Amino acid sequence: MSEAQTLEVEVTAIEQVTPLIKHFKLRPVSGDAMPAFSGGSHIVVVMRTPTRVYRNPYSLLSPPHRLDSYEIGVRRMEESRGGSHFMHDRVGVGTRLEIAHPVNLFALDKIARKHVLIAGGIGITPFMAHLEDLHEGRVPYELHYSVRGREHAAFLPRILERTGERVRMYYDSEGQSIDFDGLLSNQPLGTHVYVCGPAGMIDKVAATAREWGWPDSHIHWEQFSAPPVGDAFDVFLARSKVTVHVPPDQSLLESIEAQGVEVPYLCRGGVCGFCQTRVLELDGELIHNDHFLSDAEKAKRNTIMPCVSRARCKSLVLDL
Amino acid sequence: MLVTGIKSKPVYAPLRADTRGRYHLMLGKGPGNVALMRVLQELQSAAPQALGRTRVLLIPEEIPARAAATAPTDALPVPPADPPVSDARPENFAALGLEALRVFADAPSLLREFRSLLDGALMGTRLYVAGPESFIGLAMKIALEFDLNKDEVRAEELGSRARRVYCIHCRATTEDVRTNVARCVDCGSWLLVRDHYSRRLAAYMGVMVDAEAPGELPEIKEVFV
Repeated sequence: MSEAQTLEVEVTAIEQVTPLIKHFKLRPVSGDAMPAFSGGSHIVVVMRTPTRVYRNPYSLLSPPHRLDSYEIGVRRMEESRGGSHFMHDRVGVGTRLEIAHPVNLFALDKIARKHVLIAGGIGITPFMAHLEDLHEGRVPYELHYSVRGREHAAFLPRILERTGERVRMYYDSEGQSIDFDGLLSNQPLGTHVYVCGPAGMIDKVAATAREWGWPDSHIHWEQFSAPPVGDAFDVFLARSKVTVHVPPDQSLLESIEAQGVEVPYLCRGGVCGFCQTRVLELDGELIHNDHFLSDAEKAKRNTIMPCVSRARCKSLVLDL
Repeated sequence: MLVTGIKSKPVYAPLRADTRGRYHLMLGKGPGNVALMRVLQELQSAAPQALGRTRVLLIPEEIPARAAATAPTDALPVPPADPPVSDARPENFAALGLEALRVFADAPSLLREFRSLLDGALMGTRLYVAGPESFIGLAMKIALEFDLNKDEVRAEELGSRARRVYCIHCRATTEDVRTNVARCVDCGSWLLVRDHYSRRLAAYMGVMVDAEAPGELPEIKEVFV
């Protein structure tokens, strides 16, 4: 995705909805309507600081039928490389940001007979838009929303307004947790399960569903992993004929972009597979952090997702 | 009017047990029952406890009339040949310790029961269908209504390839078509039977073959046997 396709927006409202989550409203500077989107879509927010550029994916939580503005929720990450801190500390009402057009990697199945939605913490955001589509539909659904404690239940009033009885809350601080076996062992044929939350929760839902015989086509999840930090390394881009240094706290993709080389991307979180790049030479190890490649593909050592994956190597040559 | 090389024509493969499933639902008709017996034996050795969560709905194969019945009376007395003994007879299924075995006389009654089972079925169910193509198609049509995806359904074609043909002109479906060109049961048009298949209708598309030169028909051959 090239920078030409970004849209300039202005922050029109900010609300601290929990101790860790801020809710942002973004309006197009042009005054035009925002591009249409479907529930589950995310945008990439481009944050330009004097030293570097961050591009972080955030789910759209506003109603898909409302295109005068977009809404996103940003959780302040403890071990932030800077993106979420920038949004929390440096962005105010009136700040202008660039965003990439919405992309949906987490849509609801159109012919499902039932939807089971499972959210952990900030993972509630894509479901906020889904609820708007679901609440007038005829397909039954239930939402299971797990948070640390009552003060962390972001967007709960809006959720209750939309879902009424169909949301069940779980508060860690009160010893409540989702009974995944109970939930997934007893669902009618044609049910789809969707989970967005911490990696442990996603793994648990997928593993439990498979234990009960669910096929992969009915299990959906989304997690935007922040690019993990790691050792610095150098990479040579064969077609561009440049060497790129990747510092510990910057992703391979960000480092390549900083050199002016464009890599096609969509999610920047190791989910979509769009930035998959061929490895031409490698003396060392690839550190795969994505959820896209299979273990067999990872073992082949000939392809990498530069958005979240790194290398520990003497030399690495990519087909870019 | 392209006839072959159309991607919508379903492709079936020999049935294998899917041990990742928790519940198993199997539908068999006639020659297809042999495949179900095979897959049940596979399941029995790979995951014996799964048989207690397996339901089988069968339409038994028609037993050919005994040779003796038609033997000329003046011929030497020949001991009547037994019909080919199939190990896929209902009593052999019953011996496997299934959760349920039901035997039906025809496809409509089996499919009615199938639909009511799907209504109460849980996620984790795998569907296996074996038999003539039109039987598979009708079962798949119902499975589709319950949002069963490719990774939950397996089918093996055994028996007649006679087609259900949907008249694109009057929307009637003609059953049991064995020829390349057939007459629509409702509007009487001569239809060319294409490979273009609708999973939703469980039928191949039939297109009027003599629309431009009424009465001029290509040679009619039996091709779907």
